[in-house]
Amino acid sequence: MAVLTATDRDRAAGAAPGPVRGRRGRATRVPPVVLAFVLVPLLVEGFWVFWPALQGFWLSLTKWDGISPPQYVGLANYREMVHDSVFHTALLDTVLWLALFGGLSAILGLGAALLLQQERRGVGVYRAALFLPVVFSLTATALVWQAMYQPDGLVDKTMSALGLGGLTHPWLADQDTALYAVIVPALWRQIGYVMVLYLAGLKGIDPALYEAAKVDGATRWQQFRHITLPQLSSVNAVVLSVIIIDSLRSFDVVWALTRGGPYHSSELLSTYMYSTAFQSLRLGYGSALAVVIFVLAFGVIASYLVRAFKEAD
Amino acid sequence: MNTSPTSRRRFLAGAGALGAVGAASLMSGCVASGSGGGSTAQSKGGTVSLQSNLSSPQAKKAMEDLVAAFDKRGGAKASLNTVASETFRTQLPTYLTSANPPDLLTWYPGSVANAYSDKNLLLDVDDIWTKPELSGYSDALKKLCTDDKGRKVFVPASYYWWGVFYKKSNFAKWDVQEPKTWDEFLALCRKLKTKGVAPIGLGAGADTAWVASAWFDYFDIRINGAQYHRDLLAGKHSFTDPQVHKVFDTWSEALPYFDPNGTALSFQDATTALLNNRTGMMLIGTFFADAAPKDQLGDLDFFRFPVIDPAMPLVEEGPTDGYFASAHTHHQAEVKELMRYLATAEAQEIYLKGSSGTSIPTNPTAKDSGTPLVKKGRAMIESAADVTQFFNRDSSDALQPTADTALTKFLAKPKEITSILSNWQRDAQKIWSQ
Repeated sequence: MAVLTATDRDRAAGAAPGPVRGRRGRATRVPPVVLAFVLVPLLVEGFWVFWPALQGFWLSLTKWDGISPPQYVGLANYREMVHDSVFHTALLDTVLWLALFGGLSAILGLGAALLLQQERRGVGVYRAALFLPVVFSLTATALVWQAMYQPDGLVDKTMSALGLGGLTHPWLADQDTALYAVIVPALWRQIGYVMVLYLAGLKGIDPALYEAAKVDGATRWQQFRHITLPQLSSVNAVVLSVIIIDSLRSFDVVWALTRGGPYHSSELLSTYMYSTAFQSLRLGYGSALAVVIFVLAFGVIASYLVRAFKEAD
Repeated sequence: MNTSPTSRRRFLAGAGALGAVGAASLMSGCVASGSGGGSTAQSKGGTVSLQSNLSSPQAKKAMEDLVAAFDKRGGAKASLNTVASETFRTQLPTYLTSANPPDLLTWYPGSVANAYSDKNLLLDVDDIWTKPELSGYSDALKKLCTDDKGRKVFVPASYYWWGVFYKKSNFAKWDVQEPKTWDEFLALCRKLKTKGVAPIGLGAGADTAWVASAWFDYFDIRINGAQYHRDLLAGKHSFTDPQVHKVFDTWSEALPYFDPNGTALSFQDATTALLNNRTGMMLIGTFFADAAPKDQLGDLDFFRFPVIDPAMPLVEEGPTDGYFASAHTHHQAEVKELMRYLATAEAQEIYLKGSSGTSIPTNPTAKDSGTPLVKKGRAMIESAADVTQFFNRDSSDALQPTADTALTKFLAKPKEITSILSNWQRDAQKIWSQ
């Protein structure tokens, strides 16, 4: 990604109007070292990222079992999706995941950041505690949560102790609770991450704005609504991108806890793609699912950025 | 002037694109290897690489002992490469199609090996089957290791068996005997329920949903016979057949006696539940003993899955493990030398000594671990009219998830069996038409 920034900056500078255009002759005399710094990583990136990605697009138009040569089938894989009820479930679950996991982690992350932004004694401990889950591997985290969710596990035992014994449940094995039971550990991790992003954003807000608002007699809510939120708009773009990308690539925690089961009830597009490609060995259809994930992620983010761009103008 | 925010937005767009491209490229990482190979297999000498999926600590150690013993006897040398079993499973097609493959791989004979052999990916080892190490093997094993075109492509090393396991002390305490028929089995379940335990433990939760397929396999071979079962798994019958409905009708009779946590616990946890007297019995393969404390093993016994239709010959599940070699191997002579060694009684006894000891060697002259449990299991399989492998081994790993989905749903919603079976048929059709 760093490479892309470099090339983009370079291109942006080249296309900029005014004096730069006049110096085009000199622009060709870029030192070879700089050119190498730009082109070599671009080649590496192209070979390891763009080329396989393009192959992925091509594979999505084929039928391939991983052994025989791929067979071109046109758009048959995409037509199959229209009638594939598991794909519908996975798509719906992904939307639900995006809304719940994304929405809650943004709201709770912002809440945690607001609570912990003031420098008080011991606040660092709380910040560290909330950020700690981000450091752990999600697969390892999932194993711990799996033990907690088990029949007679920590969750059930706690509920029984609280007199809620009637609600104990095979959380991960029941189609009605599996998806939500998986969202909790994912949220537990994501909130800390989003909190750190917002904390950085809050630090960047000029305290003079709040002082002026106080002088004008603004309430806390008004300060939040009219200063904090607008000032955080640039951080929001980052958070939104992070959340959408993380939602759509959420895989490890779901796979480790339920594998998309029981009977596809916690299936996300990512887990469905994996099981189709690497368990059912239908690599063509799996690639088509990957393309859909790509289009969704790219579409959502691009449309947001275009809108943000227009607002800025 | 305005370049800074612009470039950040562009960066974000780029980051978004890359994140998603990453997902797409995950799929295609192995496309380049699809049509590789084609180089003629020739013996060039050197070390034979043995790629193993036996990654549990005991089995891995046993394999290391085995390779060390092979190296010590002079001649060709081998090197062991142990891969996590899930990685091994997903990467196996890549290993076999690679132009520079691992020479020898652990895997299964029968339908699974045949699928690779059809694509000419396996080394033809007809010649070593006439050698003294393998010539004494049973006809059933010979048939199992032969592909559709009559070539031998596999060397078996060990097998294990499935049975309904229980604790002897519990059966004595509850004053019950091993059932022989389906009616006796149901009567036993009714009695156990009055003792306050869940009569049947399952263990099809977490990531071991496939365990439920053992029940399907056994009902199908007891009601419809082994040949129907194999044909069904090969796509020659439909899961919507009345015969398959009959399987689930019979299963429904036993459903009230299944542990309600059956689909929430992995087979390891279900083993613990059996050992802690929370369940009465459990249909499981002998590998479950790896998860049991050694001092409890003596208290375990098993009985044959009950007879449902007396007219049907007694068929048992006896999954066989062993080795096949890649057709692209560069060390043909050496890999055959290693395969012959792995077929000897000596090699199989070394492996058994190191592993948990509940499997049975395929070499008829090799000694098993000699425990009463293993003797009983060996006698059951050797007297069986026919031996099936297991759902995924008699079909393919690709078909297994369709069974997991159908069977877990049946256990949760037995009334929806008609739609479950038609969905199963539809999903299976996609795999068969690959």
